Amino acid sequence: MDKALYISMSGAKQNMFAQRSHANNLANANTTGFREDFAQARSQPVWGDYHPTRAYAMTERPASNFKPGALIETGRDLDVAIPDRGFFVVQDPEGNEALTRAGNFVRDVNGQLLTPQGLSVMGEDGPIFIPPASTVNISNDGTISLVPTEGQATDIVELGRLKLVNPDLSTMDKGTDGLFRVKDQLGVVFEQDPTVQVTSGFLESSNVNTITAMTEMMSHQRQYELQVKMMKTTEENAEKVASLLQIQ
Amino acid sequence: MHGALWVSKTGLSAQDTQLTTISNNLANVATVGFKRDRAVFHDLMYQVQKQPGAQSAQDSQLPSGLQLGTGVRVVGTQKEHTQGNLQITDQPLDMAVNGRGFFQITLPDGTTGYTRNGQFHKDADGNVVNPLGFQLEPNIVIPQDTTSITIGRDGTVSVTQGNETEATEIGNITLVSFVNPAGLQAIGDNLFVQTNSSGDPVVGEPGLDGIGSILQGSLENSNVDTVEELVNMITTQRAYEMNSKVISTADEMLGFISQTL
Repeated sequence: MDKALYISMSGAKQNMFAQRSHANNLANANTTGFREDFAQARSQPVWGDYHPTRAYAMTERPASNFKPGALIETGRDLDVAIPDRGFFVVQDPEGNEALTRAGNFVRDVNGQLLTPQGLSVMGEDGPIFIPPASTVNISNDGTISLVPTEGQATDIVELGRLKLVNPDLSTMDKGTDGLFRVKDQLGVVFEQDPTVQVTSGFLESSNVNTITAMTEMMSHQRQYELQVKMMKTTEENAEKVASLLQIQ
Repeated sequence: MHGALWVSKTGLSAQDTQLTTISNNLANVATVGFKRDRAVFHDLMYQVQKQPGAQSAQDSQLPSGLQLGTGVRVVGTQKEHTQGNLQITDQPLDMAVNGRGFFQITLPDGTTGYTRNGQFHKDADGNVVNPLGFQLEPNIVIPQDTTSITIGRDGTVSVTQGNETEATEIGNITLVSFVNPAGLQAIGDNLFVQTNSSGDPVVGEPGLDGIGSILQGSLENSNVDTVEELVNMITTQRAYEMNSKVISTADEMLGFISQTL
């Protein structure tokens, strides 16, 4: 049997993977702080004792797109966005630091600052606890200050500062929980970067470029059809060969 | 089957939830004391199809793997307890809280509900009740021959009776606050009940400790911003359309292979 059939099958299968990656990007077109995933295809030569003509296709996720998304005003005290570069640090269930761009924070009953999934948001000195306050303000450098409920408007208390980091993006990788970590390294403690700025009362939208995603989806669909067509042609060729060899 | 079908299905259902939230907000745009909800999205787990760093040949490694996301989910809806605009009604028993506090209402089962809706009335016995007839806590009874009711910023209720010119104090309205008001559970009828995540109510005197003062003769409007909701509605609709486009594309791909081969 001609191996061309297997090669076009690998092409079609990898097109499906790429399609799923775009589907995930589009499904998250409205997810706060979501970073779109790239998909790239690479040829993977088939190794063996024969003429080196064949190459399988292989889809990969080389990186995520770190371009900032648009800022959306919400007016909520605990909504924070990073307009430019940088990340918020959260603690994952294993206790390691992980990075996110989603700043839609909430407070639990103890006043601890959490992500909506319940991961604790890290400050410069560990998790942040916000006592009952009449107003909470997060300044551009991430400093949290508040007016206590029993105080006057002049009794502003400085509470601490959000841990804002700006690691080298080429070392970052998106984990299976959607949080970013340093590639191939566990338990990295990130360093505070004083130049990272935040804006409170805003959320960062997903950075999915829906037009690109849709266009790439269409192009993958056509590529897929070509692969299937190729399989059909291979089948026809095989039929022709079989009929030539038939004894009349 | 095509994985993209299931991924975009999660996108469709998340946008559906978002639209439900938006339509509930818009439906309550004129509800006194209503606090808007927001749907919170989060990306689902990623599946590792090809491990980065795996051997691509005997002496070479894959520089990057393939991790495919499985879509999106709605983590929950978040109540936003920002202030609504105050509207003057000049009704003596209309009250608005300017601050974080909630009125306490005795529910029919004896437990306490909390509300920002200050539309109070008098029942046949003179009790101050909410529009459903549930009593305000602490209970205030307004005497029969009352000619005017004055509620101070600190919650003091005083009335003048008959032909008297001097006011008599008949009670005090207290307010409660919560560490995490977003953790309160909305039970409808403009009422909230306490949960483990809201914390215990802290009773306070209006005007002190930032709990908010009481404004007689005004009501707090819903904090729904119609422009914002309509813009959200448009983005939700477009995201929905694009996710359904993915479904039809994936379906066409599957249809093409089963027809061609």
